[in-house]
Amino acid sequence: MSRATMNLTGARVVAPRLSHVSWLLLAVALAAGFGLPGVVASVLVLTLLTQAVIGGMLAVGVGFLIRQNGVVSFGHAAWYGVSAYCFGLLLRHEVLPAELALVLALAVPTLTAFLLGLVIVRVPGVAFSMLTLAVGQAFHEFSMKAQGLTNGDDGFAIPLPDTLFGLPIAAVQQPETMFVLCWSLLALVIFGLYVTVRSPFGRLTEAIRENEERARFIGYRTVLPRAATYAISAFVAALAGLLFALYNGFVSPEVLHWSLSGSALIMAVIGGSRLLWGPALGAVIFFFLKDLAGNLTEHWPAMIGVTVIVVTVLMPAGIAGTLAELAGRLLRRTGGRA
Amino acid sequence: MSGPMNGSMKGAYAIEGTALTRPYGGFLAVNTVDIAVPHGEIRGLIGPNGAGKSTLIDVLSGRAAVWSGQVRMDGRDIGAMGVQERRRHGMARSFQKTNIFPELSVREQLDIAARQAEKPNVHEVMDELGLTGLGDARARDIAYGEQRRLDLALALIGRPRVLLLDEPAAGLSMRESLGLATLLRDLAQRWKVTVLIVEHDMEVVFSICDRITVLQLGRVLAEGTPDEIRRSPEVVTAYLGSAA
Repeated sequence: MSRATMNLTGARVVAPRLSHVSWLLLAVALAAGFGLPGVVASVLVLTLLTQAVIGGMLAVGVGFLIRQNGVVSFGHAAWYGVSAYCFGLLLRHEVLPAELALVLALAVPTLTAFLLGLVIVRVPGVAFSMLTLAVGQAFHEFSMKAQGLTNGDDGFAIPLPDTLFGLPIAAVQQPETMFVLCWSLLALVIFGLYVTVRSPFGRLTEAIRENEERARFIGYRTVLPRAATYAISAFVAALAGLLFALYNGFVSPEVLHWSLSGSALIMAVIGGSRLLWGPALGAVIFFFLKDLAGNLTEHWPAMIGVTVIVVTVLMPAGIAGTLAELAGRLLRRTGGRA
Repeated sequence: MSGPMNGSMKGAYAIEGTALTRPYGGFLAVNTVDIAVPHGEIRGLIGPNGAGKSTLIDVLSGRAAVWSGQVRMDGRDIGAMGVQERRRHGMARSFQKTNIFPELSVREQLDIAARQAEKPNVHEVMDELGLTGLGDARARDIAYGEQRRLDLALALIGRPRVLLLDEPAAGLSMRESLGLATLLRDLAQRWKVTVLIVEHDMEVVFSICDRITVLQLGRVLAEGTPDEIRRSPEVVTAYLGSAA
């Protein structure tokens, strides 16, 4: 079968070949996820890890946008929350079967983000960030005000079905099984994003991020690829929101609040967005730091703040970026001796 | 490049601007300028700072919207076309300041440019511009002169029919500038490219241009062969001074 496809601008492109190492890393990541619940005995730690992986997925979406479009979203909780609400409302009002509700919970925020992206990606830098913040808060306000639909500030419990795609729903509410599911999906998402950034589409969006004017003058329309990147990052956030809704069986306006967007951004900064898995690592550090500091003082956000400052000043590429750099240096030295 | 312009008007100019006007800041940087470059010609565009040279290139290339007047390519009005469409019709340009993709490798960015070309010619362009050995190098890490050549290479992918160059020799040493001039002359002849070049280096301009248009305060002051321009008293007074 031909690997030639058409890209967003109509040019003929060839899909990239993935090395065996890429597939091996995916297999190792999946195996690690399946093995971890057997090693970690504490349910609390496993719960924390599950939350971290869901938060990590949201952060990966934010990081992908920074990496590919070079812009910061202050409102990615919108897509996380819209997904959770969409799923919850469709079940609450018994509009659709749960399986279809699940698909729509992913499709609606992704499509909405794409359409919105066609407008807002034209706006550069801080103005873009402010627009995402405004959009996020608009959804938040709507969830608060639309009492009849969303039950306002109190939120509502999602009437989950007994089974979903033939699997018992109880499984997704236990940390042991939910962790494996979330971890596997996170590994697949990062792998999917890896394939995307290595594809001609990914290279093009990097070029546009680097120099949008030049990209236009070599013949590319730049809005569509940038909006598509925004939609992909929104899809990742929506998947995280859906997992949150499944795990907690409850949704409230908090999932749309700017503070969640801020937390996701902090995770991406701590981990670093140059590497696709950086924000996920940042999420794990964020959740464990929050738990640790939360046991010591009620002023735990200050400790998160100090961490962000330290990482930003000492490790501008984030912890993942710094680790990768150190590993690279070590490998070069080892190779040099050999 | 070929395609939409195959049915071009016989005898029409490769690139033509009629009564072009464009403000910049508080004044008219380009003021009812007429310019017409026949196929295959290398046309120089010179003038003192603020004469409107770069603005004229911007208007012709679509970077700046035309305020009034018409821009034609092969006789067809392209004033309403976006820069991408102009590129597809065979127009390319380079910039006064190096305009490349700094974090991408030389090869990666030329490949990206080639995906939009009907006839991708990455090897040919790299070879012509002496970039063959730099394919894997990140653009920001290569020397300034090489970056300027990369900027030109991005414009040359797909063999454009009309090439607008805004100070391609800016910042280059004398040896590099003359090498670039020779290369441009050679490529224009072999690839049958029509070139409109803005350049401050008079040695480059007078050595490669078939004709020269002189701008002053947004208007055309003179136009002619390099010899005619050298002898023009108005040009000598307004621009070249005693050096001519």
